[in-house]
Amino acid sequence: MSRSTDRATGDVVREFLSVADLLEEPRLAQLYAYLIRDGEATVQELMDTLDLPQGTAYTYVNRLSDAGVIADQSETQPISYMANEIDLTVTASDGTREYRITPVLIDAVGRRATDEDIDTYIDRHGIAGLATAINYAVDRERGSVTHRVMARDIDISPLAAEIILQALRPIVHEHYDIEPAGASLDDVVAAEDLAVDDETVNE
Amino acid sequence: MTVSATHIADTGFFVALGQPTNHRYRRVRTFAERNEIVFLIPERVYEELTEPASETATIDIAIEEGWVIVSESLDYTVPLVSKTMDGVQRYIANADERPEDEIERADAALGGLAAKVLAEESASSVYIYTPDIAAGEGVETVLGSQGYKDSITFVNAFQFIDELMD
Repeated sequence: MSRSTDRATGDVVREFLSVADLLEEPRLAQLYAYLIRDGEATVQELMDTLDLPQGTAYTYVNRLSDAGVIADQSETQPISYMANEIDLTVTASDGTREYRITPVLIDAVGRRATDEDIDTYIDRHGIAGLATAINYAVDRERGSVTHRVMARDIDISPLAAEIILQALRPIVHEHYDIEPAGASLDDVVAAEDLAVDDETVNE
Repeated sequence: MTVSATHIADTGFFVALGQPTNHRYRRVRTFAERNEIVFLIPERVYEELTEPASETATIDIAIEEGWVIVSESLDYTVPLVSKTMDGVQRYIANADERPEDEIERADAALGGLAAKVLAEESASSVYIYTPDIAAGEGVETVLGSQGYKDSITFVNAFQFIDELMD
């Protein structure tokens, strides 16, 4: 193996280890996901938006920056940071299963701090299980699978499948183009001549 | 008794509403009460919502409040019911290019119930509220091909609730 190949391998391993950290630490994942979604931000903006103490914000930014997962965008102060796209495929040691670590997965992990349903799902099915659920969530929003198909495939209850699909739905809609499907409230109201006011009227 | 419309809702519709204290739940209940809508659910949907693992049976509260009702068992000897269920099962299988036997019969239950209502002529229009686009479009397509194109509408459950919250 040449020295340059060695170095490239070292970069990949380094990136993998930092990504593994992202998956272990929801707050770190949240910061990365924020930068992926919103383009760029300064440390001050990250502190304000993610409600991070200054020391923590700098520690996180330095760790992600050292790992090459985010990069600074300006020479001038204040420095703003941007996320680099991550796409790693992890193969289980038996070679039969693999899953991809993508910004969507990191975003979902980042939300476990604030979303009980995602947190519970990771506790039960692990990060790999969440990666699988994200695939089903994308397919469900695109109209190719239902919550019952997912439940049957991975042997969980239809209710558990429905709950995680709904928790992941906003993330899917933020990262993918999803075509709208089905009739809307207006369609039903117009066809059936219904009332939508919030007030209850006694007639 | 003939009513003008029947509104059939899926598991995901109620999961999206959350607890009875939730704004979404209250908003949809008010809408239903105001318009004298009673959401009809297949038995299978009721079972999914009240499975043992579930801590809360919010659906029981909605039933008690009178704006949700569980349908009677489907009669598979009614040709439109069995034909629709087979068709919906096939539609969902095709959507993901998988064998038909991998599709739960329950996924076709919404279509079966819609077919029952239309076959009995107990409503002139039927609305299906589900977040499962494959199931909703499947029911619409299959019943549409049976001559009920103008009577059956798939309503995107999330979009419907979001719009009601605006």
